[in-house]
Amino acid sequence: MIEYDSEEQRMVLKFVYYGPALSGKTTNLLRLHDLLAKEGRGDLMVLDTKDDRTIFFDLLPFFLVAPSGLKIKVKVYTVPGQVQHDATRKAVLQRADGVAFIADSRRSEAKNNAESFGNLERNLSIVGIDIDKLPLVIQYNKRDLPDILPEEEIRRAWGPTGFPVLLSSALEGWGVVETFRALAERAYDALDRRHDFGGTHGLTRESFAERLVRRAG
Amino acid sequence: MPTDSEGRKRIVYCVGEERALRDVLPESEAAALLAAASRAGLRGVRVVDPGGKALWGSGNDAPPPGEGDPRRPILLEGEPAGSIVLPAGAARGETQDALLALLADTLTAMAHNNLKRMLTTETHTEVVNRSYEELLETNRSLSASEQRYRELAGTLEIKVRERTEELSRAMARLVQQEKMASVGQLAAGVAHEINNPLAFVTSNLRTLKKYTERFLDIIARYQRVFEQGGVAQQDRDDLRKHRESLRLDAISADAGDLLRQTLEGTERVRKIVADLKGFSHIDEEGEAPADLNREIDRTLSVMTHEIPAGAAIVREFSPLPVIPCRPGEFNQLFLGLLRNAFQARQEGLRVTIRTGVSGDRIRIAFADNGPGVPADLRTRIFEPFFTTRDVGKGKGLGLTVAYDIVTAHGGTIDVEDTPGGGATFVLQLPIRRGSHDQIR
Repeated sequence: MIEYDSEEQRMVLKFVYYGPALSGKTTNLLRLHDLLAKEGRGDLMVLDTKDDRTIFFDLLPFFLVAPSGLKIKVKVYTVPGQVQHDATRKAVLQRADGVAFIADSRRSEAKNNAESFGNLERNLSIVGIDIDKLPLVIQYNKRDLPDILPEEEIRRAWGPTGFPVLLSSALEGWGVVETFRALAERAYDALDRRHDFGGTHGLTRESFAERLVRRAG
Repeated sequence: MPTDSEGRKRIVYCVGEERALRDVLPESEAAALLAAASRAGLRGVRVVDPGGKALWGSGNDAPPPGEGDPRRPILLEGEPAGSIVLPAGAARGETQDALLALLADTLTAMAHNNLKRMLTTETHTEVVNRSYEELLETNRSLSASEQRYRELAGTLEIKVRERTEELSRAMARLVQQEKMASVGQLAAGVAHEINNPLAFVTSNLRTLKKYTERFLDIIARYQRVFEQGGVAQQDRDDLRKHRESLRLDAISADAGDLLRQTLEGTERVRKIVADLKGFSHIDEEGEAPADLNREIDRTLSVMTHEIPAGAAIVREFSPLPVIPCRPGEFNQLFLGLLRNAFQARQEGLRVTIRTGVSGDRIRIAFADNGPGVPADLRTRIFEPFFTTRDVGKGKGLGLTVAYDIVTAHGGTIDVEDTPGGGATFVLQLPIRRGSHDQIR
């Protein structure tokens, strides 16, 4: 969490879309931007300085107000997947409230997925986040492509970790909202334990998720 | 800088700090826009923060905004960060509403663009600073390790010298042990050789002790008879009977044999001791002129017990000039080489010792008909601790000791093939040595 101001009744949460380069993190955010209603969210901010490659990430902000009056801003970031942008990844990952790991379903990308997940584990430890306590969901993207890992294989591999695994094609626009919703629900559970969202703020898990994933009419 | 549970440095900065509308919209930009809007027909239009406090507006004379005044939100990251308000009393109409909406959208877009630029700058700065910090840290640790290596390099030479000295001392101890072990094995063989004659010498002496008692007994009787003055027939019969009961005739004949055998036994022991003395040159100090043929014979004579049954030892000696050397050391050398040869094969062993003079050098060859030494091991067998035997069966120092003795005498030792199979160890020793070759 970036900020919580009990006086001002404001809270800023951070979700991070992590994963190897070109696995579809930005496409996920672009799709969310298109699919979700304009109310309650800001515009997608794509930060890609063309000449200086130190910065390359996206930000999609959401805003909602709990029945208690608590204003909640949710900032959804993507990190640059390229190996050389590790400093940016660490900066973005700092104080994250939830992470969606976007993997590339193609068999040929299995090694890159594993390396990126290893990088996530290492960076979480560096920025002081316990991976076992962090709300984390896994998305296997690019299901529209040929030569992809079969679902059973993916479930067998990730089953023991207990992380929810979702399948998607960000390009075709399916599985994206479901992933975001799953992440929001996992994050809600963690926040509810710390800040009593349900009791003090009258914000149920359902309504929290519903307000974030309101579909465009 | 705080550290995590594993002691790694943690990043303390975080991108995307929250900002108020005032932070992302400079007054210069907002005020100009509002002034233009005011002139365009939105008289008194102003921007208020979420608490209703006026941020920017056109002139102090305008009345404060009321609850019911037309207003449009200005959004920052989707959150209403303020409003644009047209105070009561201003002209109303469709145009004004449209202008108000346009103004709100424009300010939202300006805020968005400014925020994006600030975020870019902020992130860029943080990442660059962080990278710089990391580089500084890397530089610090590199400098530290360079310093460590510098110190190490300084002390390395001293350490190497110390360890080398330690190793030479340990090596010298091991070589000494090897020599002692070699002599120890010899001692065991010699002890066995001495034990045999000693056993029968002892046994003979016991028997002779009994014989001597009987002789003394009969002598005492004769003495008594003579002292009584007569040699009566009765006395003569008694003495004869007593002589017969003591079986003096038989033991008289045996005693001679026993004494002769005993003397032979002691002679054997004496010879063994003499051989050992000759082998070890224990009474000599430093160098002495020696005939190496004779020394080889001396070595062979103390090794008789070690020569395998059925082995043929062929001595092809040519006369050698007497050379000054430490004969005791040479015998140790011959002992080692002969012992190796004796172990070359179980049955049908043939060891040929050939001596001769070749130019200004004495050449001595010990040839066996065993398995020989493979070509690739020939340079290594003289190295310390090199052994082809099983662990515990040899330290690999025997030939190292040989090599040291020969080189100390200014000579060489090599291994060759025996024609027809086997190993031949060849020693070459200078007949005259320069003063610089004096034995250490």
